Amino acid sequence: MKRLAISLSALLVSSVAVVAADDPIAVRQSLMQAVAGAAGASGGMLKGEIDYNPVVAKAAIATLYGVSQAYGDYFPEGSQNGDTDAAPEIWEDMEGFHNALADFQADAAAAFEAAGKDGPADLAAFKAAVQPVLSNCRDCHESFRIQDD
Amino acid sequence: MLRNLLFGGAALAVLAGAAFWFLTRPEGIGSSALAAVGPGDATRGERIFWAGGCASCHARPEAEGERLLELSGGLELETAFGTFVAPNISPDPAQGIGEWDESVFVNAMLHGVSPEGKHYYPAFPYPSYARMETQDVLDLFAYLKTLPPAAEETAPHRLSFPYTMRRGIGLWKLIYMHEEPLVELPADAPEAVLRGRYLVEGPGHCGECHTPRSFAGGLQFERWLAGAPALEGDGRVPNITPSSAGIGSWSVADITYYLESGFTPDFDSVGGEMVAVQKNMARLPEEDRAAIAAYLKAVPEVEGE
Repeated sequence: MKRLAISLSALLVSSVAVVAADDPIAVRQSLMQAVAGAAGASGGMLKGEIDYNPVVAKAAIATLYGVSQAYGDYFPEGSQNGDTDAAPEIWEDMEGFHNALADFQADAAAAFEAAGKDGPADLAAFKAAVQPVLSNCRDCHESFRIQDD
Repeated sequence: MLRNLLFGGAALAVLAGAAFWFLTRPEGIGSSALAAVGPGDATRGERIFWAGGCASCHARPEAEGERLLELSGGLELETAFGTFVAPNISPDPAQGIGEWDESVFVNAMLHGVSPEGKHYYPAFPYPSYARMETQDVLDLFAYLKTLPPAAEETAPHRLSFPYTMRRGIGLWKLIYMHEEPLVELPADAPEAVLRGRYLVEGPGHCGECHTPRSFAGGLQFERWLAGAPALEGDGRVPNITPSSAGIGSWSVADITYYLESGFTPDFDSVGGEMVAVQKNMARLPEEDRAAIAAYLKAVPEVEGE
Protein backbone atom coordinates (compact mmCIF):
# COMPACT_ATOMS: atom_id res chain seq x y z
CA MET A 1 0.00 0.00 0.00
CA LYS A 2 2.80 2.38 0.87
CA ARG A 3 4.40 1.57 -2.46
CA LEU A 4 1.13 2.39 -4.15
CA ALA A 5 0.99 5.76 -2.44
CA ILE A 6 4.55 6.55 -3.35
CA SER A 7 4.05 5.60 -6.96
CA LEU A 8 0.80 7.60 -6.92
CA SER A 9 2.71 10.67 -5.77
CA ALA A 10 5.39 10.00 -8.34
CA LEU A 11 2.73 9.69 -11.00
CA LEU A 12 1.22 13.02 -10.05
CA VAL A 13 4.61 14.70 -10.16
CA SER A 14 5.71 13.02 -13.40
CA SER A 15 2.48 14.03 -15.12
CA VAL A 16 3.72 17.54 -14.49
CA ALA A 17 7.13 16.78 -15.92
CA VAL A 18 5.84 15.67 -19.32
CA VAL A 19 4.20 19.03 -19.93
CA ALA A 20 6.37 21.35 -21.95
CA ALA A 21 8.27 23.49 -19.46
CA ASP A 22 7.85 26.58 -21.62
CA ASP A 23 4.07 26.46 -21.35
CA PRO A 24 3.28 27.85 -17.88
CA ILE A 25 -0.48 27.62 -18.44
CA ALA A 26 -0.27 23.88 -19.11
CA VAL A 27 2.04 23.34 -16.13
CA ARG A 28 -0.09 25.20 -13.63
CA GLN A 29 -3.24 23.49 -14.90
CA SER A 30 -1.65 20.09 -14.42
CA LEU A 31 -0.65 21.14 -10.90
CA MET A 32 -4.28 22.02 -10.19
CA GLN A 33 -5.29 18.59 -11.51
CA ALA A 34 -2.93 17.08 -8.95
CA VAL A 35 -4.65 19.16 -6.24
CA ALA A 36 -8.07 18.06 -7.47
CA GLY A 37 -6.92 14.44 -7.24
CA ALA A 38 -5.69 14.99 -3.69
CA ALA A 39 -8.91 16.80 -2.76
CA GLY A 40 -10.87 13.92 -4.29
CA ALA A 41 -9.08 11.28 -2.25
CA SER A 42 -9.43 13.44 0.88
CA GLY A 43 -13.10 14.13 0.29
CA GLY A 44 -13.84 10.48 -0.41
CA MET A 45 -12.49 9.54 3.01
CA LEU A 46 -14.05 12.52 4.80
CA LYS A 47 -17.44 11.68 3.28
CA GLY A 48 -17.07 8.03 4.25
CA GLU A 49 -17.13 6.79 0.65
CA ILE A 50 -13.62 5.35 1.00
CA ASP A 51 -12.33 3.74 4.19
CA TYR A 52 -9.77 5.85 5.95
CA ASN A 53 -6.22 4.89 5.09
CA PRO A 54 -3.27 6.83 6.55
CA VAL A 55 -1.06 6.11 3.55
CA VAL A 56 -3.55 7.57 1.12
CA ALA A 57 -4.05 10.48 3.52
CA LYS A 58 -0.32 11.08 3.58
CA ALA A 59 -0.14 10.94 -0.23
CA ALA A 60 -2.91 13.53 -0.49
CA ILE A 61 -1.24 15.86 1.98
CA ALA A 62 2.17 15.40 0.34
CA THR A 63 0.67 16.29 -3.04
CA LEU A 64 -0.91 19.46 -1.62
CA TYR A 65 2.37 20.36 0.03
CA GLY A 66 4.42 19.79 -3.10
CA VAL A 67 2.07 21.76 -5.33
CA SER A 68 1.93 24.63 -2.85
CA GLN A 69 5.71 24.98 -3.14
CA ALA A 70 5.80 24.96 -6.94
CA TYR A 71 2.55 26.53 -8.04
CA GLY A 72 3.50 30.20 -7.79
CA ASP A 73 6.36 29.78 -10.29
CA TYR A 74 4.01 29.42 -13.26
CA PHE A 75 2.44 32.86 -13.50
CA PRO A 76 4.98 34.87 -15.50
CA GLU A 77 3.97 38.18 -17.08
CA GLY A 78 2.14 37.42 -20.34
CA SER A 79 0.70 34.10 -19.20
CA GLN A 80 -2.63 35.79 -18.44
CA ASN A 81 -3.27 35.49 -22.18
CA GLY A 82 -4.40 32.15 -23.52
CA ASP A 83 -6.81 29.37 -22.62
CA THR A 84 -6.82 30.01 -18.89
CA ASP A 85 -9.21 30.58 -16.00
CA ALA A 86 -6.55 32.48 -14.11
CA ALA A 87 -8.08 35.89 -13.38
CA PRO A 88 -6.38 39.15 -14.42
CA GLU A 89 -6.42 40.04 -10.70
CA ILE A 90 -3.36 37.81 -10.28
CA TRP A 91 -1.23 40.15 -12.33
CA GLU A 92 -2.98 43.30 -11.15
CA ASP A 93 -2.49 42.34 -7.51
CA MET A 94 0.59 40.10 -7.51
CA GLU A 95 1.20 40.86 -3.84
CA GLY A 96 -2.30 39.72 -2.88
CA PHE A 97 -1.85 36.57 -4.96
CA HIS A 98 1.46 35.81 -3.26
CA ASN A 99 -0.17 36.35 0.13
CA ALA A 100 -2.87 33.84 -0.77
CA LEU A 101 -0.18 31.46 -1.98
CA ALA A 102 1.77 31.93 1.27
CA ASP A 103 -1.35 30.92 3.24
CA PHE A 104 -1.67 27.78 1.11
CA GLN A 105 2.01 26.98 1.64
CA ALA A 106 1.86 27.54 5.40
CA ASP A 107 -1.27 25.43 5.85
CA ALA A 108 0.11 22.66 3.61
CA ALA A 109 3.45 22.65 5.45
CA ALA A 110 1.65 22.40 8.81
CA ALA A 111 -0.43 19.50 7.52
CA PHE A 112 2.64 17.76 6.13
CA GLU A 113 4.34 18.16 9.51
CA ALA A 114 1.25 16.88 11.35
CA ALA A 115 0.98 13.88 9.03
CA GLY A 116 4.31 12.56 10.26
CA LYS A 117 6.10 9.65 8.69
CA ASP A 118 3.13 7.28 8.54
CA GLY A 119 0.26 9.68 7.89
CA PRO A 120 -2.43 10.92 10.33
CA ALA A 121 -3.42 8.18 12.78
CA ASP A 122 -7.16 8.41 12.23
CA LEU A 123 -9.84 10.22 10.26
CA ALA A 124 -10.28 12.93 12.91
CA ALA A 125 -6.57 13.72 12.85
CA PHE A 126 -6.58 13.76 9.05
CA LYS A 127 -9.59 16.07 8.97
CA ALA A 128 -7.95 18.48 11.40
CA ALA A 129 -4.78 18.51 9.29
CA VAL A 130 -6.21 18.69 5.77
CA GLN A 131 -9.26 20.90 6.07
CA PRO A 132 -7.35 24.15 6.61
CA VAL A 133 -5.30 23.34 3.49
CA LEU A 134 -8.38 22.61 1.38
CA SER A 135 -10.12 25.81 2.47
CA ASN A 136 -7.43 27.66 0.52
CA CYS A 137 -8.96 26.40 -2.74
CA ARG A 138 -12.19 28.32 -2.20
CA ASP A 139 -10.53 31.42 -0.77
CA CYS A 140 -7.99 31.78 -3.57
CA HIS A 141 -10.45 30.92 -6.35
CA GLU A 142 -12.84 33.54 -5.02
CA SER A 143 -10.37 36.33 -5.77
CA PHE A 144 -8.08 34.95 -8.41
CA ARG A 145 -10.04 32.64 -10.69
CA ILE A 146 -12.45 33.78 -13.40
CA GLN A 147 -15.98 33.24 -12.08
CA ASP A 148 -17.98 31.09 -14.46
CA ASP A 149 -21.40 32.41 -13.50
CA MET B 1 -79.55 58.81 -14.07
CA LEU B 2 -76.11 60.20 -14.75
CA ARG B 3 -76.00 61.50 -11.20
CA ASN B 4 -76.90 58.07 -9.87
CA LEU B 5 -74.19 56.49 -11.95
CA LEU B 6 -71.62 59.00 -10.80
CA PHE B 7 -72.68 58.53 -7.22
CA GLY B 8 -72.53 54.75 -7.57
CA GLY B 9 -69.06 54.97 -9.16
CA ALA B 10 -67.79 57.18 -6.38
CA ALA B 11 -69.22 54.86 -3.76
CA LEU B 12 -67.53 51.89 -5.44
CA ALA B 13 -64.21 53.73 -5.54
CA VAL B 14 -64.51 54.54 -1.85
CA LEU B 15 -65.37 50.92 -1.09
CA ALA B 16 -62.46 49.65 -3.17
CA GLY B 17 -60.16 52.09 -1.44
CA ALA B 18 -61.42 50.98 1.94
CA ALA B 19 -60.97 47.33 0.98
CA PHE B 20 -57.43 48.06 -0.21
CA TRP B 21 -56.67 49.90 2.99
CA PHE B 22 -58.07 47.06 5.06
CA LEU B 23 -56.36 44.27 3.12
CA THR B 24 -52.97 45.97 3.05
CA ARG B 25 -52.79 47.08 6.69
CA PRO B 26 -49.53 46.04 8.35
CA GLU B 27 -50.51 43.43 10.92
CA GLY B 28 -48.27 42.31 13.72
CA ILE B 29 -48.66 40.95 17.18
CA GLY B 30 -48.95 42.68 20.53
CA SER B 31 -46.36 42.15 23.25
CA SER B 32 -48.77 39.93 25.25
CA ALA B 33 -48.73 37.30 22.49
CA LEU B 34 -45.21 36.23 23.47
CA ALA B 35 -46.15 35.26 27.02
CA ALA B 36 -46.54 31.61 26.05
CA VAL B 37 -43.02 31.37 24.61
CA GLY B 38 -39.92 30.97 26.74
CA PRO B 39 -37.22 33.62 27.06
CA GLY B 40 -34.65 33.79 24.28
CA ASP B 41 -31.45 31.76 24.64
CA ALA B 42 -28.38 33.36 23.04
CA THR B 43 -26.49 30.07 22.65
CA ARG B 44 -29.28 28.51 20.65
CA GLY B 45 -29.66 31.80 18.83
CA GLU B 46 -26.13 31.65 17.48
CA ARG B 47 -27.06 28.51 15.52
CA ILE B 48 -30.02 30.36 14.01
CA PHE B 49 -27.76 33.31 13.21
CA TRP B 50 -25.49 31.17 11.02
CA ALA B 51 -28.36 29.19 9.54
CA GLY B 52 -29.94 32.49 8.49
CA GLY B 53 -26.71 33.99 7.22
CA CYS B 54 -27.62 37.34 8.80
CA ALA B 55 -24.02 38.55 8.56
CA SER B 56 -23.91 38.10 4.79
CA CYS B 57 -26.13 41.15 4.34
CA HIS B 58 -25.95 42.97 7.68
CA ALA B 59 -22.21 42.90 8.42
CA ARG B 60 -20.09 45.74 7.10
CA PRO B 61 -19.43 45.00 3.40
CA GLU B 62 -16.24 42.89 2.89
CA ALA B 63 -16.03 41.98 6.60
CA GLU B 64 -14.38 38.64 7.48
CA GLY B 65 -13.88 36.56 10.61
CA GLU B 66 -14.83 38.17 13.93
CA ARG B 67 -15.88 41.36 12.20
CA LEU B 68 -18.82 39.50 10.69
CA LEU B 69 -20.40 40.01 14.11
CA GLU B 70 -20.48 43.81 13.76
CA LEU B 71 -23.84 44.22 12.09
CA SER B 72 -23.46 47.81 10.94
CA GLY B 73 -25.39 47.24 7.71
CA GLY B 74 -24.50 49.21 4.60
CA LEU B 75 -24.49 46.49 1.95
CA GLU B 76 -26.30 47.67 -1.17
CA LEU B 77 -28.47 45.31 -3.20
CA GLU B 78 -28.97 46.62 -6.72
CA THR B 79 -32.16 45.06 -8.05
CA ALA B 80 -34.69 45.71 -10.78
CA PHE B 81 -36.81 47.57 -8.22
CA GLY B 82 -34.02 49.91 -7.14
CA THR B 83 -31.21 49.85 -4.60
CA PHE B 84 -31.91 48.41 -1.16
CA VAL B 85 -29.55 49.17 1.70
CA ALA B 86 -29.17 46.57 4.46
CA PRO B 87 -29.80 48.30 7.81
CA ASN B 88 -27.78 48.40 11.00
CA ILE B 89 -29.11 45.60 13.25
CA SER B 90 -26.38 45.83 15.88
CA PRO B 91 -27.46 46.51 19.48
CA ASP B 92 -26.56 50.19 19.12
CA PRO B 93 -29.50 52.02 20.75
CA ALA B 94 -29.48 54.95 18.32
CA GLN B 95 -28.62 53.35 14.96
CA GLY B 96 -29.30 49.67 15.53
CA ILE B 97 -31.99 47.66 17.29
CA GLY B 98 -30.82 48.24 20.87
CA GLU B 99 -34.12 49.85 21.81
CA TRP B 100 -36.26 47.09 20.33
CA ASP B 101 -38.16 44.67 22.52
CA GLU B 102 -39.02 41.09 21.67
CA SER B 103 -42.39 41.84 20.12
CA VAL B 104 -40.88 44.46 17.81
CA PHE B 105 -38.28 41.95 16.64
CA VAL B 106 -40.87 39.20 16.15
CA ASN B 107 -43.04 41.56 14.12
CA ALA B 108 -40.09 42.37 11.88
CA MET B 109 -39.01 38.77 11.37
CA LEU B 110 -42.33 36.92 11.16
CA HIS B 111 -44.66 39.63 9.83
CA GLY B 112 -42.38 41.99 7.91
CA VAL B 113 -43.65 44.96 9.91
CA SER B 114 -41.37 47.74 11.18
CA PRO B 115 -41.43 49.33 14.67
CA GLU B 116 -43.34 52.23 13.06
CA GLY B 117 -45.99 49.80 11.87
CA LYS B 118 -44.98 49.93 8.18
CA HIS B 119 -44.37 47.07 5.77
CA TYR B 120 -40.76 46.15 5.18
CA TYR B 121 -39.66 45.52 1.61
CA PRO B 122 -39.21 41.80 0.99
CA ALA B 123 -35.55 42.38 0.07
CA PHE B 124 -35.44 41.52 3.77
CA PRO B 125 -36.44 37.87 3.31
CA TYR B 126 -39.21 37.76 5.92
CA PRO B 127 -41.48 35.77 3.57
CA SER B 128 -39.12 32.88 4.42
CA TYR B 129 -38.68 33.84 8.06
CA ALA B 130 -42.48 33.79 8.44
CA ARG B 131 -42.11 29.99 8.57
CA MET B 132 -39.81 30.14 11.60
CA GLU B 133 -40.68 29.08 15.13
CA THR B 134 -41.25 32.07 17.42
CA GLN B 135 -38.87 30.51 19.95
CA ASP B 136 -36.06 30.49 17.37
CA VAL B 137 -36.72 34.16 16.61
CA LEU B 138 -36.47 35.03 20.31
CA ASP B 139 -33.27 32.99 20.62
CA LEU B 140 -31.82 34.88 17.66
CA PHE B 141 -32.81 38.19 19.24
CA ALA B 142 -31.05 37.19 22.49
CA TYR B 143 -27.92 36.35 20.48
CA LEU B 144 -27.97 39.62 18.51
CA LYS B 145 -28.08 41.48 21.85
CA THR B 146 -24.68 39.98 22.74
CA LEU B 147 -22.93 41.36 19.63
CA PRO B 148 -20.90 44.58 19.53
CA PRO B 149 -22.76 47.81 18.78
CA ALA B 150 -21.97 49.66 15.53
CA ALA B 151 -22.60 53.39 15.20
CA GLU B 152 -23.18 53.67 11.44
CA GLU B 153 -26.38 55.35 10.36
CA THR B 154 -28.31 53.34 7.78
CA ALA B 155 -28.76 55.09 4.44
CA PRO B 156 -32.29 55.01 2.96
CA HIS B 157 -33.25 52.70 0.11
CA ARG B 158 -33.13 54.31 -3.31
CA LEU B 159 -36.28 53.22 -5.13
CA SER B 160 -38.41 54.73 -7.84
CA PHE B 161 -42.20 55.06 -8.05
CA PRO B 162 -44.35 52.95 -7.64
CA TYR B 163 -42.03 50.91 -5.41
CA THR B 164 -41.82 53.82 -3.00
CA MET B 165 -45.44 53.03 -2.00
CA ARG B 166 -45.02 50.64 0.90
CA ARG B 167 -48.71 50.12 1.40
CA GLY B 168 -48.86 48.02 -1.77
CA ILE B 169 -46.60 45.48 -0.11
CA GLY B 170 -49.64 44.50 1.94
CA LEU B 171 -51.26 43.03 -1.19
CA TRP B 172 -48.00 41.40 -2.17
CA LYS B 173 -47.85 39.69 1.21
CA LEU B 174 -51.34 38.25 0.74
CA ILE B 175 -50.16 36.51 -2.42
CA TYR B 176 -46.58 35.56 -1.65
CA MET B 177 -46.23 35.19 2.11
CA HIS B 178 -47.19 31.89 3.72
CA GLU B 179 -46.42 30.51 7.14
CA GLU B 180 -47.05 26.92 6.07
CA PRO B 181 -44.26 24.71 4.73
CA LEU B 182 -43.95 24.77 0.94
CA VAL B 183 -43.08 21.18 0.21
CA GLU B 184 -45.63 18.71 1.50
CA LEU B 185 -44.04 15.76 3.22
CA PRO B 186 -45.64 12.59 4.55
CA ALA B 187 -46.38 12.63 8.27
CA ASP B 188 -43.86 9.84 8.80
CA ALA B 189 -41.06 11.60 6.89
CA PRO B 190 -37.65 11.15 8.54
CA GLU B 191 -36.77 13.68 11.22
CA ALA B 192 -33.79 14.92 9.16
CA VAL B 193 -35.97 15.75 6.13
CA LEU B 194 -38.41 17.70 8.32
CA ARG B 195 -35.57 19.56 10.01
CA GLY B 196 -34.05 20.26 6.59
CA ARG B 197 -37.35 21.61 5.32
CA TYR B 198 -37.51 23.98 8.26
CA LEU B 199 -33.92 25.18 7.75
CA VAL B 200 -34.18 25.61 3.97
CA GLU B 201 -37.69 27.09 3.74
CA GLY B 202 -37.42 29.15 6.94
CA PRO B 203 -34.27 30.66 8.42
CA GLY B 204 -31.94 29.52 5.59
CA HIS B 205 -34.17 31.32 3.03
CA CYS B 206 -32.49 29.34 0.22
CA GLY B 207 -35.47 29.82 -2.09
CA GLU B 208 -35.03 33.59 -2.12
CA CYS B 209 -32.12 33.19 -4.56
CA HIS B 210 -32.59 29.66 -5.95
CA THR B 211 -36.24 30.12 -7.02
CA PRO B 212 -37.28 32.33 -9.96
CA ARG B 213 -39.55 35.30 -9.32
CA SER B 214 -42.64 36.64 -11.02
CA PHE B 215 -42.81 40.15 -12.49
CA ALA B 216 -44.00 41.33 -9.08
CA GLY B 217 -40.93 39.90 -7.36
CA GLY B 218 -42.69 37.01 -5.65
CA LEU B 219 -41.36 33.46 -5.77
CA GLN B 220 -42.74 31.10 -8.43
CA PHE B 221 -43.50 28.27 -6.05
CA GLU B 222 -44.05 25.72 -8.85
CA ARG B 223 -40.37 26.14 -9.73
CA TRP B 224 -39.19 25.90 -6.13
CA LEU B 225 -35.37 25.82 -5.97
CA ALA B 226 -35.13 25.26 -9.75
CA GLY B 227 -32.60 28.03 -10.34
CA ALA B 228 -33.07 31.66 -11.28
CA PRO B 229 -31.38 34.70 -12.74
CA ALA B 230 -29.20 36.32 -10.09
CA LEU B 231 -30.94 39.20 -8.32
CA GLU B 232 -27.83 41.27 -8.88
CA GLY B 233 -25.73 41.27 -12.05
CA ASP B 234 -26.32 38.90 -14.96
CA GLY B 235 -25.25 35.58 -13.49
CA ARG B 236 -27.47 32.59 -12.77
CA VAL B 237 -28.22 30.83 -9.51
CA PRO B 238 -28.23 27.06 -10.03
CA ASN B 239 -31.07 24.57 -9.92
CA ILE B 240 -30.72 22.59 -6.66
CA THR B 241 -33.66 20.23 -7.11
CA PRO B 242 -32.81 16.53 -7.51
CA SER B 243 -33.34 16.61 -11.30
CA SER B 244 -30.79 16.07 -14.06
CA ALA B 245 -30.66 19.85 -14.54
CA GLY B 246 -30.14 20.24 -10.81
CA ILE B 247 -28.08 18.24 -8.37
CA GLY B 248 -29.76 14.89 -8.85
CA SER B 249 -26.38 13.23 -9.25
CA TRP B 250 -25.19 14.48 -5.85
CA SER B 251 -25.56 12.10 -2.91
CA VAL B 252 -26.65 13.22 0.54
CA ALA B 253 -22.99 12.88 1.56
CA ASP B 254 -21.94 15.06 -1.40
CA ILE B 255 -24.32 17.87 -0.43
CA THR B 256 -23.40 17.65 3.25
CA TYR B 257 -19.68 17.77 2.44
CA TYR B 258 -20.18 20.65 0.00
CA LEU B 259 -21.88 22.72 2.70
CA GLU B 260 -19.08 21.92 5.12
CA SER B 261 -16.03 22.24 2.85
CA GLY B 262 -17.09 24.11 -0.27
CA PHE B 263 -16.11 21.22 -2.57
CA THR B 264 -18.45 19.97 -5.28
CA PRO B 265 -18.48 16.22 -6.04
CA ASP B 266 -16.00 16.80 -8.89
CA PHE B 267 -13.74 18.67 -6.47
CA ASP B 268 -14.21 22.10 -7.81
CA SER B 269 -14.60 24.79 -5.17
CA VAL B 270 -17.69 26.83 -4.36
CA GLY B 271 -17.85 30.25 -6.06
CA GLY B 272 -19.73 33.51 -6.29
CA GLU B 273 -22.40 34.50 -3.79
CA MET B 274 -22.49 30.95 -2.45
CA VAL B 275 -19.04 31.32 -0.87
CA ALA B 276 -20.38 33.40 2.01
CA VAL B 277 -23.39 31.11 2.38
CA GLN B 278 -21.21 28.01 2.50
CA LYS B 279 -18.95 29.57 5.13
CA ASN B 280 -22.06 30.20 7.26
CA MET B 281 -23.25 26.62 6.72
CA ALA B 282 -19.83 25.36 7.80
CA ARG B 283 -20.53 26.82 11.26
CA LEU B 284 -23.67 24.73 11.74
CA PRO B 285 -23.67 21.37 13.50
CA GLU B 286 -23.11 18.47 11.09
CA GLU B 287 -26.67 17.25 11.71
CA ASP B 288 -28.09 20.49 10.27
CA ARG B 289 -26.04 20.21 7.08
CA ALA B 290 -27.10 16.57 6.74
CA ALA B 291 -30.73 17.64 7.29
CA ILE B 292 -30.52 20.24 4.53
CA ALA B 293 -29.06 17.59 2.23
CA ALA B 294 -31.82 15.12 3.08
CA TYR B 295 -34.48 17.73 2.31
CA LEU B 296 -32.86 18.72 -0.99
CA LYS B 297 -33.11 15.08 -2.08
CA ALA B 298 -36.82 15.08 -1.15
CA VAL B 299 -38.07 18.21 -2.96
CA PRO B 300 -39.89 17.86 -6.31
CA GLU B 301 -37.58 17.43 -9.30
CA VAL B 302 -37.78 20.37 -11.67
CA GLU B 303 -35.98 20.38 -15.01
CA GLY B 304 -34.62 23.40 -16.84
CA GLU B 305 -32.25 26.25 -16.10
